Amino acid sequence: MQALEIFEGFSHYLKEMKSQGKKVIAFISHDNIPEELIDAAGFIPLRLIFAGNDELMDASHDYLPPSTCAFAQTCIGLFALKPRQFDFLELVDYFIVSNHCVSDICASEVICKYFNIPRINFYTSYMRNSNSEKYFRLEIAEFRNKLEEIRDAVISDEMIIESISRYNEFRQVIKEINNLKLQGGLKLKLMQKAFLFGPKILPELREFIASNEDSRTNTSNSIDLLLTGCSIFINDILIDLIEEGGGNVLFFDTWIGYNYYSQQFEENAFDNIQNPIDLLASRFVNNIYGDHSVPNFLENRIAHIEKIYRDYNQKTGKKLGIINHIIKFCDHHSLMSSFFKNKLQEKGIQVLNIERDYSRANRGQLSTRIEAYLEMISE
Amino acid sequence: MSLIADEIIRFSSVLKIAYNFLTGRAYLKRKKFREKEKLVSVALPFSDLPFAAGTVPVFPIRMHIFNVNQYLSYLGTASNIFGWKGVSNFLGFVKNLGISEVSKIVDDIIEDVIKEINEKYNEMYDIGIEGGISSDFCYGLKSLVGMHLSKSRNVDAYMNITIRCSAFNKYLESLTAINNDPRPIWIDIPPRNIGNALELLTDNINHALVDFENLTGKTVSDNMLRNHFNISNQVKSAYKTIIFDISASDFYPCNPATFSEIMSLLNITFQDYNSNAIRYRDNMNSLVKEMRERIRKGIGMDVSGMPRIFVTPIFGGWEPKSHDYIYELGGRALYADWGLLKLLEEIPISPRNNPVEEYAHFLLNATETGIGCDNDKLTDSYLRMAKELNADGIVFIQLFGCHSISNCYRMLRDKVRRELEIPITAITFNKIGENIEQVKTRIGAFMEMF
Repeated sequence: MQALEIFEGFSHYLKEMKSQGKKVIAFISHDNIPEELIDAAGFIPLRLIFAGNDELMDASHDYLPPSTCAFAQTCIGLFALKPRQFDFLELVDYFIVSNHCVSDICASEVICKYFNIPRINFYTSYMRNSNSEKYFRLEIAEFRNKLEEIRDAVISDEMIIESISRYNEFRQVIKEINNLKLQGGLKLKLMQKAFLFGPKILPELREFIASNEDSRTNTSNSIDLLLTGCSIFINDILIDLIEEGGGNVLFFDTWIGYNYYSQQFEENAFDNIQNPIDLLASRFVNNIYGDHSVPNFLENRIAHIEKIYRDYNQKTGKKLGIINHIIKFCDHHSLMSSFFKNKLQEKGIQVLNIERDYSRANRGQLSTRIEAYLEMISE
Repeated sequence: MSLIADEIIRFSSVLKIAYNFLTGRAYLKRKKFREKEKLVSVALPFSDLPFAAGTVPVFPIRMHIFNVNQYLSYLGTASNIFGWKGVSNFLGFVKNLGISEVSKIVDDIIEDVIKEINEKYNEMYDIGIEGGISSDFCYGLKSLVGMHLSKSRNVDAYMNITIRCSAFNKYLESLTAINNDPRPIWIDIPPRNIGNALELLTDNINHALVDFENLTGKTVSDNMLRNHFNISNQVKSAYKTIIFDISASDFYPCNPATFSEIMSLLNITFQDYNSNAIRYRDNMNSLVKEMRERIRKGIGMDVSGMPRIFVTPIFGGWEPKSHDYIYELGGRALYADWGLLKLLEEIPISPRNNPVEEYAHFLLNATETGIGCDNDKLTDSYLRMAKELNADGIVFIQLFGCHSISNCYRMLRDKVRRELEIPITAITFNKIGENIEQVKTRIGAFMEMF
């Protein structure tokens, strides 16, 4: 499955949707955006989940300084670099300005302002408590109103419930993909594709799962890994470098991975539901592994990873490698990276912090560091 | 720098503020160990609740030992006997006698103060890096981490207020990883003022007050809040007078470089009022009086021909030599970060109003219209302040690693050119003293436009 094919297919899909009069709403991907509302409105959510390169990052420097998060730089570059790397970005009707982090705000704002894309605001509190849940409901109400204004019709509760249910099923399928006994890179690429297309490709995903349920990729010579921190986005070489170095990512503890599918609702959550917004609000409050929130993100994340590590160790008698992937200038993961590493190492869990941007020049250094780490934990 | 020191000694209030900054450690030790008061670390000007709750807010760098110039130290001792004003008058008298040795000593005092503060900031920066914070973050955050790595053991609580800067919020979270003992007291400010956001923030502040009550074992009454807000309103009022009335006027009570030195000292000290709100208010009021008195007597400098250069933002770090260069090239540097971010707004204290709600209103207003929830709003704040200061030009400090307040240069430049039609330039900054030649060159080129 090549990225090029995915983009071609996606471009075709978006054009088809646009010809049906559907609006495309793009956003810098993060876990608090209520994609179900966009879907319920009959629009297409387009997550920007594309890895960068030197050209894309450079193209952003007219708007934000180079000390901006490399992913945010890339998102701007996708719009600034001509000709555009992805023609489907021409189809974007609205862009969501959100505050997953401050770079999300700044980059989204630049995209709206300098590339003439109308903006829709969606902000969330930095804490997760009863008041931030109430605030989340305010933002959801505004967001819903805005979408209703665009579609010029009400979005009924039933439509929202239907979308939540569809996305819930989608999360379940993503979880099943993650649990397949296949090479990590293959699973990641499938998840990336799924994130791009959304529930539309559920049948294809199901078919893949059915035909690979009993497959076992021979990874006995590989070192099993947990990847945490920033997601690996489409077209990123990092997963290839890990696999070339002899590693295999068993568990994606990132937004493309556990962070997404762990926000699945129990089936009984839909019983007698009065207000579908309750479901979205509860998801926000229960999103304890989301990196946006303070104050317990680090603590929760360490406890979660330690548990996975211990379970794996008990089951296999082997060490599970932990790679903490930090996109350069990422506020959330970079600032915490030394604390994260130190706290896990105090518990005897070895961690590799990889901090990098998307420049090609990094490739050799990344490979060397990954290989050295894999050698170390295999001893 | 003798000219600067020469001027500053005439302001006894500035000497006091500088002295209180540098000798904070002894003061804080007394508060903590002898008077059994609780120390609460603060960053940015969020000291109101700790003061109102009867705790001692401290900007953590002040817990360090500073090399206080021995003469300033003597002055401190002398002030206990003669009062600060007497000391200042005496120094002015000695200076006027033209005794060169004494003059030199006096001149050195303030230069030492500024140098000492800057060196300590750089030391904190290095401690932060050694402690593991990535060098990719801004000077301010790296220094703050350094301050906490070295001194958080002395504080009883952290005052943690979330703002739009995600790195700052994560830094607040990381304080517990640095030291788990102090109690984190959080206030989450809703990103936008929509619906009943004000009510939610009011409730968040009430929860923080309960945390303070648990920390001190004492109730925080509405009157305690009003009393402190009353003091802080006076501080803000004095500060605004200095920024808007005096710094924007055509006659300064001292030379512009001195004025900038004072403004930069206020910018730092405003964060914790030197841990004593009443004393700080009195010093601020004295400062305004001293400045006005000098202006009234015609002592100072006609600056009407000197372009007003608004240098901003500086609170996350900037090259303090900037104002010297601007002055040398015929301009005057104006600093007004806290006003720009709407943190100098006064808080209504009428008994009819709920002070918690008023404080919530203050914070939400700063978030919504000062700091702004996005760069469009933030750049409006820069424009508003430039207009209020009647600025002739803007030097924008593009702080390396700042992803929030200082990375909106492109948008700001476009707006300034379109709406204000004044020159603007950006200067990158990473660490004090690191890039002095480049700063000088950039400012030199910029000042040629006037």
